Amino acid sequence: MTSINETAAAVTPAQSLVDLCAGVLPVWARHLATSRSQSEAAVSEMMAAFASIGPHLGRAQQQSHQIDQVLGRQDGAFADLSQSCEKLLVPLLDAPLPPDGAASIQAALSLVRNAVESVSQLTLPVSEETCAVAEHVERMYIGFQYQDRISQMIALLEGDIARLQAVLGNSGADVPDLESWMSRLESQYAMSDQRASHNGDASGSEGGDAGDETTFF
Amino acid sequence: MAKTILVIDDSASLRQVVKMALTGAGYNVIEAGDGKAALALLDGRQIAMAVCDVNMPVMNGIEFVKAAKQLPAYKFLPILMLTTESQEEKKEQGKAAGAKAWMVKPFAPTQLVNAVSKLCA
Repeated sequence: MTSINETAAAVTPAQSLVDLCAGVLPVWARHLATSRSQSEAAVSEMMAAFASIGPHLGRAQQQSHQIDQVLGRQDGAFADLSQSCEKLLVPLLDAPLPPDGAASIQAALSLVRNAVESVSQLTLPVSEETCAVAEHVERMYIGFQYQDRISQMIALLEGDIARLQAVLGNSGADVPDLESWMSRLESQYAMSDQRASHNGDASGSEGGDAGDETTFF
Repeated sequence: MAKTILVIDDSASLRQVVKMALTGAGYNVIEAGDGKAALALLDGRQIAMAVCDVNMPVMNGIEFVKAAKQLPAYKFLPILMLTTESQEEKKEQGKAAGAKAWMVKPFAPTQLVNAVSKLCA
């Protein structure tokens, strides 16, 4: 026959664990909620700041592009300038010329060639800067979206903690088995990162969904 | 005149990212935080297409697509699902509901603009 003391000794640790969890889980849930709202606030702040500088970046990109086109080595007027001068001046070298005439034409051609070459060297950094800015802007847009993923992951944990709290607070109800609990949790995952984390697969939890192609139906 | 795109996502920051990408490409954007709010915007106004999240409160993206397709004026509205969901099963649900394309977040702005441009053409 089991004595009262033995029963108390058997029940107390389990009940203590329930009490412990009932006290701790709401705190964890609140911390998660705070983390989520702070990460959302941080991204909103960054987005607001980016929204104000975005148009300036866009205009700078556009202007760089226009400068690049105007000074362009292939289609621009400066590229044509050298060819036009060559076309006009080179034939004159075969014609009768005053003393030093040929040397003057050669000097003029050389100056034009050098000027065109200098301008094309100037356009190179402008073009590279334009590409670099566009690339950074693209990366910022992608980076901002990770907050949405984090938010979804945290929201799911908040929900699951609340569910566990409900079970702990309802001592009369059946306790769900681990398998069905996990199965229900896993069914709510949207991202491959979540599935990888669930299974302890660290290799698959590094934002592996990024850069997927668009599927057209 | 700029084409209007309806952007539906429960994340305000995500809507902002999509809006910035699309307005930068010359589109006009209107927003809704869930499927039900988006349906309220399908009130006869001219909308070139919708960009819609899948997992949302109140009314999710798949339910929105099905509901939108029931409206005669928007029966042929192209809808791009923009979501973190990458499972084939979910994609099939989107396709069956009537979505025209599926893009997984995070997306590159050029990728989104190219898809929108293709679907609006």
